[in-house]
Amino acid sequence: MAVDSPDFDMTPRGKTDAARHRDKIKEALRRSLPDIIGEEAIITRREGKIVKVPVRGLKSYHFRHGSAGGSAGGFGSGGGKKGAVVGRTPKPGQGRPGQPGDEPGIDYLETEIDLEELVEMMFKDLGLPNLKQKEVMETVIPRGWTFDSIRTSGIMPRLDKKRTIKEAIRRTEVLISHLMEETRRSVEACRAALLEAGGDPVRARELLASGAVYGNFSSQDSVQQPFIESSDLRFRTLAEDVEYRSNAVLIAMMDVSGSMDNMKKYFARSFFFWLVSFLRTVYENVKIRFIAHTTEAKLVDEEEFFHKGESGGTYCHTAYELANDLIDREYSPERWNIYTFHFSDGEDWDAARTAAAAEKVLERGISAFGYGEIQTDYSTSVLMQALVEKLELKKDKAGQFAYYGGSFDLTPLVGVEIRSKDDLYPALRCFLHKEHVGP
Amino acid sequence: MTDIKRLNEADALISETAREFGLDFMLQEFDVVPVEKMMEIVAYRLPVNFSHWSFGRDYESERTKFEHGFAVPYEVVFNSDPCRAYLMESNPFAIQVMVMAHVYAHNDFMKNNLHFRGTRRDMVTSASEAASRFRGYEEAYGMEQVEGILDAGMSIQWNIDPDEELHKLTENEERERLYGWKKSPPAKGSFDDLIPRRPEISREEKEQLRRKTPPEPTPELLGYIINHSPKPLKDWERDVLQVLKEQAQYFMPYRRTKIMNEGWATFWHERIIGRLLAEGFLEPSEHGLYNIYNARVKAHHPRVLNPYLLGSALFSDIEERWNKGRFGRDFEDEVYARKRELFDTGLMKGREKIFSVRKTHMDWFFIDEFLSPDMIEKLCLYTYEEKETDTHNESVIAETEWRKIKSLLVRSLMNWGVPRILVVDGNYMNSLQLYLKHDFESLPLEEEYCRKTLEYIFRLWSRPVHLETQKLSGDNPYGVVYTCDEDGVRERAM
Repeated sequence: MAVDSPDFDMTPRGKTDAARHRDKIKEALRRSLPDIIGEEAIITRREGKIVKVPVRGLKSYHFRHGSAGGSAGGFGSGGGKKGAVVGRTPKPGQGRPGQPGDEPGIDYLETEIDLEELVEMMFKDLGLPNLKQKEVMETVIPRGWTFDSIRTSGIMPRLDKKRTIKEAIRRTEVLISHLMEETRRSVEACRAALLEAGGDPVRARELLASGAVYGNFSSQDSVQQPFIESSDLRFRTLAEDVEYRSNAVLIAMMDVSGSMDNMKKYFARSFFFWLVSFLRTVYENVKIRFIAHTTEAKLVDEEEFFHKGESGGTYCHTAYELANDLIDREYSPERWNIYTFHFSDGEDWDAARTAAAAEKVLERGISAFGYGEIQTDYSTSVLMQALVEKLELKKDKAGQFAYYGGSFDLTPLVGVEIRSKDDLYPALRCFLHKEHVGP
Repeated sequence: MTDIKRLNEADALISETAREFGLDFMLQEFDVVPVEKMMEIVAYRLPVNFSHWSFGRDYESERTKFEHGFAVPYEVVFNSDPCRAYLMESNPFAIQVMVMAHVYAHNDFMKNNLHFRGTRRDMVTSASEAASRFRGYEEAYGMEQVEGILDAGMSIQWNIDPDEELHKLTENEERERLYGWKKSPPAKGSFDDLIPRRPEISREEKEQLRRKTPPEPTPELLGYIINHSPKPLKDWERDVLQVLKEQAQYFMPYRRTKIMNEGWATFWHERIIGRLLAEGFLEPSEHGLYNIYNARVKAHHPRVLNPYLLGSALFSDIEERWNKGRFGRDFEDEVYARKRELFDTGLMKGREKIFSVRKTHMDWFFIDEFLSPDMIEKLCLYTYEEKETDTHNESVIAETEWRKIKSLLVRSLMNWGVPRILVVDGNYMNSLQLYLKHDFESLPLEEEYCRKTLEYIFRLWSRPVHLETQKLSGDNPYGVVYTCDEDGVRERAM
């Protein structure tokens, strides 16, 4: 048959070498992280842990012609006047590489990368705030019973047959080599004598000495049969099975009043997405609780948190009070690493009370406290100022990015102002930065 | 699920139709493969090939294109006997049929085009053997080591002499030829006596020549390094480079005939599918799908010269011109557009002509001979340049005048699109330095690529490497020499 559908060796060579290529462009990939963070497609992706990240492929160098000026060029068809632009690609670091002008695929390719790997790349050089305390806060979860160690005494139902047989074989073989040494007979003869004697070494020696066992055994005749004695028995013991787990809860609070438009919510959402992704790489068990507030706060699900807009005024303290409640009821700081992060546009009708409520939350001994203010030209920002004063935050800089930092007992505090998508990455790094760990 | 039975029916019909059209092909076999496998074959150039990051990059690039719907209906066909081609499982039936018809014409081309003569037809197996040898090298010497050699070797993979087989001489034989020593008289009936004989040269010149390596400048850069590098290369390193060279030799005919080969295949798949449609083999909905994909195959690309489009347009044009006798003095001198339009001597030699062209030509003289000003105008060809603005890299149309386009195009296709680099001296300054010379031909080298490539060559040669080339200042060329050693690449004016 001329057309056939054969079975193929499907070792994924392509993927392996693609990973090698990705390794080589890691620097470039890192440089485009601020863009990737704002990439909506990653955050809204439905399933799976694979993220596709647009990157510029590494060049393969060889001698090639340049145009008259020594720059690159080529031929095209389909018409146009001299000087007409027939293709545009943004330079790296400009705009979103995912949609480069008219022809993706020519300059850019999408590399498939594990979300975890990406998160690791983003925050690898950062520690987690209060990482030291993690061990203390590991929780013990009973998981029933497990076989723990092996002993020489026990009850028959817990006999470990495999280990017992192993012991017996070992002992029998030692016995045979002793017999051989004493009687100078062949291994087959000794084995046969031991078999005849039912495993009794004294009787086996007598049999060999009396000549009751004659030579000439072929290897098929000699059965390697072990003889079990009570000293060979091995028993398993039971122990309580526990798992040590580190738990983290992120209490995500957001102002959903009329002034928080979709753009602002999108910033908040991206921020929380990466925060949770990162926490998941460190903690096995990350819970996120969402608190939305206007003039009053309520616990909502994720969908409502990000999508439902409400109108009305803003009392931020209600959110902190609810968070405090939640910690009381469900997340005892002894068992949980608690992170709180609050997003608003800075508008608050009673900022002083909010600052006081925030302080209450801090007194509980949480792992990190963050506040993000999304600012536009028109926002009236009072909350950041109030928090700065109350919690004695100081203006600091991480590279180009300015933020407010401080600590409360051992809890690191971070206040960030987000003006555009580009601020997301530095803001995240600030919040997660190791150096904010208290003294 | 792929309908293998119907594909086999299509295969029988297509091969029969192709034969009726006069195509002459090797036994053809198709394998239906999953998407991922297809991407791998495309990226690795061969069904099984050694590992390299650049293949991984190309794999992701193919996948990206595929996932964004920029996919062309992949046709992958290997020059082996029987000829092996791959069909992608996920393609609809109409596309499979189109690819199959296309492949039969490639098959005919590879069997009959003179430049495919002498290519090895066991490359598929040989590459797979090389792949497992290379894996062994990786285990023994480390991945980084093997990758280092591959990176360097691949940078000059195409700087070889594809016609080496035709004039293979050892260095000593080459010297003897240059000494002008008399050989036995030319065989009767051969044309050797037409080749001008070199006059015998003086003693001093002979003495010089005896020490010179290579005796005469050679374009076989990769081969020269394999045989003469003072590094010295280890056996496994030499093996890696030799495999790269063999693969380049294998792919060379494809590279030299890309436009013709794809044009020929497109020209014929349109006619074969036309026949299948007339016979009602494809359903109306499949007909529609075929039309869409065929239009995509032949689409204009603003920044790439589409070989499917250009090649098939040229073959159609040649057929029409030779059918109507539109060549030679009478036609060329006709200035009246209306008369040119109606020019027809009823010669009807079109088919004959295209079959003979597919046998003898390769791209650069195919374009040189047959790309007419009319065609350039019809296809709206242009050249463009990359320019930088503050935020973007832009491609800007630089030239639309037919003479300039044609001469640039022909020049870019000569030497299979690669700048001609000659090894002039392998013992430069009498200290084993390598002296290379770029055959300028008024096209300068792209600087960034040139410098990086020199670093790779230095890695293989381990003694200083020099490259003589020219740059343009306005329209005026001036000579420069790049030198690469431990301290990197330097440039100085000649």
